[in-house]
Amino acid sequence: MKHVGKRTIPLLVAVMVCLPFMGCNVARMTLNTTLTPESVAFIVPGKTTFTDVVTRLGAPDTITDADSGVVATYRFLDLKYSRVNFGWLAKPWTPVDPDLIFSKTGLGVDEFQVFCNPDWVVVQQGFQRSLTRPPFHPYPF
Amino acid sequence: MKAAHYLLGIVMAALLLQGCAFSRGTVGDDVKTEMVATIQKGTTTKTEVVNLLGAPDRLLQLNGRDVFHYYRYDAKAGSLLLILLNFTRLSVKSDDVFVIVNRDGIVEDVISSKRTESLGFRFWPFGE
Repeated sequence: MKHVGKRTIPLLVAVMVCLPFMGCNVARMTLNTTLTPESVAFIVPGKTTFTDVVTRLGAPDTITDADSGVVATYRFLDLKYSRVNFGWLAKPWTPVDPDLIFSKTGLGVDEFQVFCNPDWVVVQQGFQRSLTRPPFHPYPF
Repeated sequence: MKAAHYLLGIVMAALLLQGCAFSRGTVGDDVKTEMVATIQKGTTTKTEVVNLLGAPDRLLQLNGRDVFHYYRYDAKAGSLLLILLNFTRLSVKSDDVFVIVNRDGIVEDVISSKRTESLGFRFWPFGE
Protein backbone atom coordinates (compact mmCIF):
# COMPACT_ATOMS: atom_id res chain seq x y z
CA MET A 1 0.00 0.00 0.00
CA LYS A 2 2.88 2.30 0.93
CA HIS A 3 4.51 1.50 -2.41
CA VAL A 4 1.33 2.40 -4.33
CA GLY A 5 1.05 5.73 -2.46
CA LYS A 6 4.63 6.58 -3.33
CA ARG A 7 3.85 6.17 -7.01
CA THR A 8 0.39 7.69 -6.98
CA ILE A 9 1.24 10.99 -5.30
CA PRO A 10 3.86 12.10 -7.86
CA LEU A 11 1.49 11.00 -10.63
CA LEU A 12 -1.35 13.01 -9.13
CA VAL A 13 0.92 16.04 -8.74
CA ALA A 14 1.99 15.68 -12.38
CA VAL A 15 -1.64 15.49 -13.52
CA MET A 16 -2.56 18.53 -11.41
CA VAL A 17 0.34 20.49 -12.90
CA CYS A 18 -0.61 19.46 -16.45
CA LEU A 19 -4.35 20.12 -16.12
CA PRO A 20 -4.22 23.91 -16.36
CA PHE A 21 -2.24 23.61 -19.62
CA MET A 22 -4.76 21.33 -21.33
CA GLY A 23 -6.29 22.88 -24.44
CA CYS A 24 -4.10 25.96 -24.10
CA ASN A 25 -3.18 28.31 -26.93
CA VAL A 26 -0.70 31.10 -26.55
CA ALA A 27 -0.04 33.42 -29.47
CA ARG A 28 1.83 36.65 -29.91
CA MET A 29 2.21 39.10 -32.77
CA THR A 30 4.76 41.90 -32.90
CA LEU A 31 5.15 44.65 -35.50
CA ASN A 32 8.58 46.25 -35.62
CA THR A 33 10.74 46.71 -32.56
CA THR A 34 9.06 48.25 -29.54
CA LEU A 35 10.59 51.62 -28.70
CA THR A 36 10.96 52.65 -25.08
CA PRO A 37 11.70 56.04 -23.47
CA GLU A 38 15.22 54.68 -22.81
CA SER A 39 15.83 53.82 -26.47
CA VAL A 40 14.91 57.37 -27.58
CA ALA A 41 16.64 59.18 -24.70
CA PHE A 42 19.47 60.24 -27.04
CA ILE A 43 17.15 62.71 -28.80
CA VAL A 44 17.72 66.27 -27.59
CA PRO A 45 15.21 68.73 -29.06
CA GLY A 46 16.97 71.61 -30.82
CA LYS A 47 20.24 69.66 -31.19
CA THR A 48 19.60 66.19 -32.61
CA THR A 49 19.11 66.06 -36.37
CA PHE A 50 16.76 63.78 -38.24
CA THR A 51 19.80 61.98 -39.70
CA ASP A 52 20.92 61.11 -36.14
CA VAL A 53 17.47 59.69 -35.41
CA VAL A 54 17.48 57.59 -38.59
CA THR A 55 20.99 56.34 -37.85
CA ARG A 56 19.89 55.06 -34.44
CA LEU A 57 16.28 53.99 -35.06
CA GLY A 58 16.18 53.30 -38.79
CA ALA A 59 13.80 54.84 -41.30
CA PRO A 60 10.39 55.81 -39.94
CA ASP A 61 7.17 54.18 -41.12
CA THR A 62 5.74 57.45 -42.37
CA ILE A 63 6.86 61.01 -42.93
CA THR A 64 4.13 63.63 -43.11
CA ASP A 65 4.07 67.33 -43.80
CA ALA A 66 3.16 69.85 -41.12
CA ASP A 67 2.79 73.65 -41.20
CA SER A 68 6.24 74.31 -39.80
CA GLY A 69 8.15 71.16 -40.57
CA VAL A 70 7.94 67.43 -40.90
CA VAL A 71 6.60 64.66 -38.65
CA ALA A 72 8.28 61.24 -38.75
CA THR A 73 6.32 58.39 -37.19
CA TYR A 74 7.59 55.05 -35.92
CA ARG A 75 4.80 52.51 -35.32
CA PHE A 76 4.97 49.35 -33.25
CA LEU A 77 2.55 46.79 -31.94
CA ASP A 78 2.57 43.96 -29.43
CA LEU A 79 -0.44 41.65 -29.40
CA LYS A 80 -0.85 38.83 -26.89
CA TYR A 81 -3.54 36.18 -27.05
CA SER A 82 -4.14 33.29 -24.70
CA ARG A 83 -6.94 30.74 -24.59
CA VAL A 84 -7.80 27.78 -22.39
CA ASN A 85 -10.43 25.21 -23.27
CA PHE A 86 -11.61 23.56 -20.06
CA GLY A 87 -13.78 21.27 -22.20
CA TRP A 88 -10.65 19.15 -22.60
CA LEU A 89 -11.11 18.01 -19.01
CA ALA A 90 -14.43 16.34 -19.88
CA LYS A 91 -13.45 14.96 -23.30
CA PRO A 92 -12.36 11.51 -22.05
CA TRP A 93 -15.63 10.93 -20.21
CA THR A 94 -18.33 12.36 -22.49
CA PRO A 95 -19.62 11.17 -25.87
CA VAL A 96 -19.96 14.79 -27.05
CA ASP A 97 -17.16 17.27 -27.72
CA PRO A 98 -17.62 19.88 -24.99
CA ASP A 99 -16.01 23.34 -25.00
CA LEU A 100 -15.66 25.79 -22.16
CA ILE A 101 -13.32 28.42 -23.47
CA PHE A 102 -11.74 31.34 -21.67
CA SER A 103 -9.68 33.64 -23.85
CA LYS A 104 -8.28 37.11 -23.75
CA THR A 105 -6.46 39.30 -26.26
CA GLY A 106 -4.31 42.23 -25.23
CA LEU A 107 -3.36 44.74 -27.90
CA GLY A 108 -0.51 47.08 -27.15
CA VAL A 109 -0.18 49.57 -29.98
CA ASP A 110 1.76 52.77 -29.94
CA GLU A 111 3.73 55.17 -32.10
CA PHE A 112 6.68 57.45 -31.58
CA GLN A 113 6.56 60.81 -33.30
CA VAL A 114 9.50 63.07 -34.12
CA PHE A 115 8.74 66.61 -35.19
CA CYS A 116 11.49 68.30 -37.24
CA ASN A 117 11.80 71.88 -38.47
CA PRO A 118 12.48 72.63 -42.18
CA ASP A 119 16.26 72.25 -41.47
CA TRP A 120 15.62 68.65 -40.28
CA VAL A 121 16.49 69.42 -36.65
CA VAL A 122 14.28 67.69 -34.08
CA VAL A 123 12.07 70.22 -32.35
CA GLN A 124 9.80 67.91 -30.41
CA GLN A 125 9.38 64.20 -29.82
CA GLY A 126 7.01 61.95 -27.93
CA PHE A 127 5.01 58.76 -27.73
CA GLN A 128 1.40 58.90 -28.82
CA ARG A 129 0.33 56.89 -25.80
CA SER A 130 2.29 54.91 -23.28
CA LEU A 131 2.29 51.30 -24.40
CA THR A 132 0.83 49.04 -21.77
CA ARG A 133 2.41 45.64 -22.11
CA PRO A 134 -0.54 43.24 -21.98
CA PRO A 135 0.00 40.13 -19.86
CA PHE A 136 -0.66 36.56 -20.96
CA HIS A 137 -3.68 35.43 -18.99
CA PRO A 138 -6.85 33.98 -20.48
CA TYR A 139 -9.20 34.99 -17.66
CA PRO A 140 -11.65 37.40 -19.41
CA PHE A 141 -13.59 38.68 -16.40
CA MET B 1 23.00 2.31 -24.06
CA LYS B 2 24.27 5.18 -26.24
CA ALA B 3 22.18 3.94 -29.15
CA ALA B 4 19.08 3.97 -26.93
CA HIS B 5 19.77 7.60 -26.03
CA TYR B 6 20.17 8.54 -29.71
CA LEU B 7 16.95 6.71 -30.55
CA LEU B 8 15.12 8.49 -27.73
CA GLY B 9 16.48 11.82 -28.99
CA ILE B 10 15.32 11.12 -32.54
CA VAL B 11 11.87 10.05 -31.32
CA MET B 12 11.55 13.21 -29.16
CA ALA B 13 12.66 15.45 -32.05
CA ALA B 14 10.25 13.72 -34.43
CA LEU B 15 7.42 14.11 -31.94
CA LEU B 16 8.06 17.84 -31.56
CA LEU B 17 8.58 18.50 -35.27
CA GLN B 18 5.38 16.77 -36.35
CA GLY B 19 3.46 19.61 -34.68
CA CYS B 20 5.48 22.43 -36.23
CA ALA B 21 4.24 25.04 -38.68
CA PHE B 22 6.17 27.70 -40.55
CA SER B 23 4.30 30.47 -42.36
CA ARG B 24 5.52 33.52 -44.21
CA GLY B 25 3.93 36.48 -45.93
CA THR B 26 5.44 39.44 -47.77
CA VAL B 27 3.99 42.68 -49.12
CA GLY B 28 5.87 44.61 -51.79
CA ASP B 29 9.07 43.99 -53.70
CA ASP B 30 12.46 43.67 -52.13
CA VAL B 31 14.32 46.98 -52.29
CA LYS B 32 17.94 46.04 -52.95
CA THR B 33 20.50 47.84 -50.76
CA GLU B 34 23.00 47.97 -53.66
CA MET B 35 20.48 49.80 -55.82
CA VAL B 36 19.70 52.31 -53.06
CA ALA B 37 23.44 52.83 -52.57
CA THR B 38 23.83 53.97 -56.20
CA ILE B 39 21.54 56.96 -55.59
CA GLN B 40 23.81 59.98 -55.11
CA LYS B 41 22.66 63.03 -53.21
CA GLY B 42 22.86 66.18 -55.35
CA THR B 43 23.37 64.39 -58.66
CA THR B 44 20.82 61.61 -59.21
CA THR B 45 17.62 62.82 -60.84
CA LYS B 46 13.99 61.90 -60.16
CA THR B 47 13.81 60.02 -63.49
CA GLU B 48 16.88 57.97 -62.62
CA VAL B 49 15.35 57.01 -59.27
CA VAL B 50 12.18 55.81 -60.99
CA ASN B 51 14.22 53.87 -63.56
CA LEU B 52 16.24 52.28 -60.77
CA LEU B 53 13.58 51.45 -58.17
CA GLY B 54 10.37 51.71 -60.15
CA ALA B 55 7.38 53.87 -59.33
CA PRO B 56 7.15 54.62 -55.59
CA ASP B 57 4.60 52.90 -53.38
CA ARG B 58 3.63 56.30 -52.00
CA LEU B 59 4.34 59.84 -53.15
CA LEU B 60 4.41 62.53 -50.46
CA GLN B 61 4.86 66.30 -50.46
CA LEU B 62 7.13 67.79 -47.79
CA ASN B 63 7.75 71.54 -47.76
CA GLY B 64 7.67 71.70 -51.54
CA ARG B 65 9.82 68.60 -51.96
CA ASP B 66 8.66 65.30 -53.39
CA VAL B 67 9.26 62.24 -51.24
CA PHE B 68 9.23 58.80 -52.86
CA HIS B 69 8.41 56.10 -50.33
CA TYR B 70 9.24 52.46 -51.15
CA TYR B 71 8.31 49.80 -48.60
CA ARG B 72 8.22 46.09 -48.09
CA TYR B 73 6.70 44.10 -45.24
CA ASP B 74 7.86 40.65 -44.19
CA ALA B 75 5.95 38.44 -41.73
CA LYS B 76 7.22 35.18 -40.28
CA ALA B 77 5.14 32.92 -38.07
CA GLY B 78 6.26 29.86 -36.19
CA SER B 79 3.83 27.52 -34.46
CA LEU B 80 4.50 24.67 -32.10
CA LEU B 81 1.35 22.55 -31.99
CA LEU B 82 1.55 20.07 -29.16
CA ILE B 83 -2.17 19.17 -29.30
CA LEU B 84 -2.87 20.15 -25.70
CA LEU B 85 -0.60 23.18 -25.66
CA ASN B 86 0.02 25.38 -28.70
CA PHE B 87 2.48 28.23 -29.09
CA THR B 88 2.45 30.71 -31.98
CA ARG B 89 4.62 33.73 -32.63
CA LEU B 90 4.13 36.10 -35.56
CA SER B 91 6.71 38.80 -36.20
CA VAL B 92 6.29 41.55 -38.76
CA LYS B 93 8.98 43.99 -39.82
CA SER B 94 9.31 46.49 -42.65
CA ASP B 95 11.96 47.85 -44.99
CA ASP B 96 11.49 51.50 -45.86
CA VAL B 97 13.24 53.78 -48.32
CA PHE B 98 12.45 57.50 -48.55
CA VAL B 99 13.99 59.44 -51.44
CA ILE B 100 13.63 63.20 -50.98
CA VAL B 101 13.68 65.10 -54.29
CA ASN B 102 14.00 68.90 -54.40
CA ARG B 103 12.09 71.32 -56.66
CA ASP B 104 14.72 70.91 -59.43
CA GLY B 105 14.12 67.17 -59.57
CA ILE B 106 17.46 66.29 -57.94
CA VAL B 107 17.79 63.86 -55.01
CA GLU B 108 18.36 65.80 -51.80
CA ASP B 109 18.44 62.95 -49.31
CA VAL B 110 17.94 59.19 -49.04
CA ILE B 111 16.67 57.60 -45.84
CA SER B 112 16.54 53.84 -45.70
CA SER B 113 16.52 50.96 -43.28
CA LYS B 114 16.33 47.21 -43.70
CA ARG B 115 14.71 45.73 -40.62
CA THR B 116 13.64 42.45 -42.22
CA GLU B 117 17.23 41.14 -42.32
CA SER B 118 17.05 40.48 -38.58
CA LEU B 119 13.65 38.82 -38.79
CA GLY B 120 13.64 35.13 -37.93
CA PHE B 121 11.11 32.39 -37.24
CA ARG B 122 10.23 32.31 -33.56
CA PHE B 123 7.95 29.97 -31.62
CA TRP B 124 8.29 31.08 -28.02
CA PRO B 125 5.74 33.87 -27.36
CA PHE B 126 7.11 34.96 -24.00
CA GLY B 127 9.87 37.45 -23.27
CA GLU B 128 10.96 40.06 -25.83
